[in-house]
Amino acid sequence: MPEVLDRLQDIFRDVFDDPELVLKDEMTAVDVDGWDSLAHINLIIALEREMGIKFATAEISKMKEPGQNVGSFRRLVEFKVAQA
Amino acid sequence: MTELLAPGEALQGFLQADASHRAAHFAEFIGALKAAANQHGAHAVRQWARRAVSPLIDYSSLMKLRRFLVDSAPAAGSESNSLRLAILGGPTTIQLRQLIEVFAAAEGIALEIYEAEYGLFRQEVFTPGSGLDEFQPQVVFLATSARDVTRFPVVGQDEESVAQLAGEELDDWLRIWETCNARWNATVVQNNFEIAPGGVLGHYGARHPSAREHYLDRLNRMWAERAPVYVVLHDLRGLAASAGARLWFDPRFYHEFKMPCGAECLATYAHSFVSLARAIVGRSKKVLVLDLDNTLWGGVVGDLGAGGVRVGQGSGEGEAFLAFQRYAKELRDRGVILAVCSKNDDEKAREPFEKRDDMILKLSDISCFVANWKNKADNLRDIADRLELKADSFVFVDDNPAERALVRRFAPEVAVPDMPEDPAGYIQALAAHRYFETVAFTREDAARAGYYTANARRKELAERSSDISSFLASLSMRMTMTPVSELNIERATQLINKSNQFNLTTQRYTLAQVREMAASPEWRTLTFSLRDSLGDNGLISVLLLRKQSESLAIDTWVMSCRVLQRGVEHFTRNALVDLAREEGCRTILGMYIPSAKNGMVLDHFARLGFTAAGAEGDQTFWSLGVDPALEPLPHFIESEATYAGSA
Repeated sequence: MPEVLDRLQDIFRDVFDDPELVLKDEMTAVDVDGWDSLAHINLIIALEREMGIKFATAEISKMKEPGQNVGSFRRLVEFKVAQA
Repeated sequence: MTELLAPGEALQGFLQADASHRAAHFAEFIGALKAAANQHGAHAVRQWARRAVSPLIDYSSLMKLRRFLVDSAPAAGSESNSLRLAILGGPTTIQLRQLIEVFAAAEGIALEIYEAEYGLFRQEVFTPGSGLDEFQPQVVFLATSARDVTRFPVVGQDEESVAQLAGEELDDWLRIWETCNARWNATVVQNNFEIAPGGVLGHYGARHPSAREHYLDRLNRMWAERAPVYVVLHDLRGLAASAGARLWFDPRFYHEFKMPCGAECLATYAHSFVSLARAIVGRSKKVLVLDLDNTLWGGVVGDLGAGGVRVGQGSGEGEAFLAFQRYAKELRDRGVILAVCSKNDDEKAREPFEKRDDMILKLSDISCFVANWKNKADNLRDIADRLELKADSFVFVDDNPAERALVRRFAPEVAVPDMPEDPAGYIQALAAHRYFETVAFTREDAARAGYYTANARRKELAERSSDISSFLASLSMRMTMTPVSELNIERATQLINKSNQFNLTTQRYTLAQVREMAASPEWRTLTFSLRDSLGDNGLISVLLLRKQSESLAIDTWVMSCRVLQRGVEHFTRNALVDLAREEGCRTILGMYIPSAKNGMVLDHFARLGFTAAGAEGDQTFWSLGVDPALEPLPHFIESEATYAGSA
């Protein structure tokens, strides 16, 4: 089972159609090309399906809030995967 | 099909396989599409991406396919099946619209879409000069939900006041529909209301008028009974029920994004809508072609004999096959044509039908029966020839994955659904594709399968009869000619909108427009219904004519292809000449507008003695003088009672 960050990166690459995309913990939504609210919905849908997890309503848009970055998002997903 | 590139095996292998195999190889397929697109351009891979679209795949995969479909989509209007579609959401429709684009592209329907901001459907409809008004839609999809109902009873309210409330609610929606129809002559596709579980009265809610679920049920029934004919109901309630409440009612996506349903249900929703759009443009599938061994009965009849195959009461498996036969039979009764395509000796293949009383399907239900040892792709084309229908209106059901793969590869125009190994799953597997959607049900539909059976018999007769004249004479054909009236307007409109091949101008008209023409002094309408010794062919041709001072101009001339080469065109031309004379016209004017599908009538007017009268682009114009010297054209059709006068 690859690390969560690797799987996240694969899903990001798929959703943003960018095979070169490299995720780093300190990146925020503005650092990823095309990460608008529509792409974000697609990202959540793909993550839930691929990783078999379910975000709570309050968590769905958290990534886009100020102070959040890929690192905090990764930790949330890791937590969800461990729970699942 | 025009193949723009020799497909790599990665593409072919993927497309000929079942969904389970496809899911495992989807990433490779997308990679192969990308490589091919980089090399040959987006247009070149469009047709491969199209064929991968299926209601069985997930949201994210469909969105990936979308990249290959939407940007390279041909402009609306450039294909014969194009629609100006307005999507007016209660909930947000962005993802729904995107998936509608995907499924429409897969069906070859070119859409020009106007999408309103969510929740603004009333403003868009009622405000003159709104974006919707400027767009002038042909189809308005009211993608609303139970959340868009403005009046709900309070718990405990009594029957009388709830009924009044529901009546007021209906009046509001009637005004929306009537405005769409009056302002743009649009067909309205209207969702009914999905019913979420968890009513506060529990089971008692099923009988108390104030309960939310009881009330929504009431509205749904009223919609079904009271919506005018130009409103096509989209059964969102049924959709939500078959998806399952847990998946459909995912309130997170509504609370956070105002999405109409759970993400994975959006694909089902979009596919379901597009299947209605396909019915509106007359492209629903027409023929169900069935394999025999292990499709209609268990076991191989060549090995087990008619008595040995498993079908009928007594075993679960036999009942499962019986249930599938019953489903096919019911499809036939509503107008889907059944055919058989089986690898068998013809005689053996027929035996279970002839010898087993417990078979639900009878030989007489099968309009075309082909059992031989040739490959099935060729046989399907052969069946298409015999039925005089195009194979792109065929659905082929076979339990054998290898046969499915062969047909997908060599007859890609035929729809081939995956079938599970267990026959108990056949009905659901077939139904999931919504191949046979319809927006109306007429007497013609109920009788259609019979027409095709009789037609296949006529073809057999014709093949045996060396002299075509004696064959036609032997049919004792009788024609009834009437104007469009309330008695036949639904069927006439259906024929106008469904005919693709024998259609001189491919003008499409709504029921309201046809009704207007039938009543207008400037228009003459003619319908033709043909009977013969083998059966009733029903209403098979419609002409819409514009009366000008000295001439009669043919705006629309459509004919059902099942009566080709029967002399109907000659009969019709003679009738036209008679009418022109009665109306005091000197000439009949014809026009041919080529489409992707009407090549068969390119020379139609020339064959009927019209002379060429110019051209404009691809369109050609024709005229026929009706001077007294003009002789009638020969045919073998007797005229039956003809009702004069307007409707």
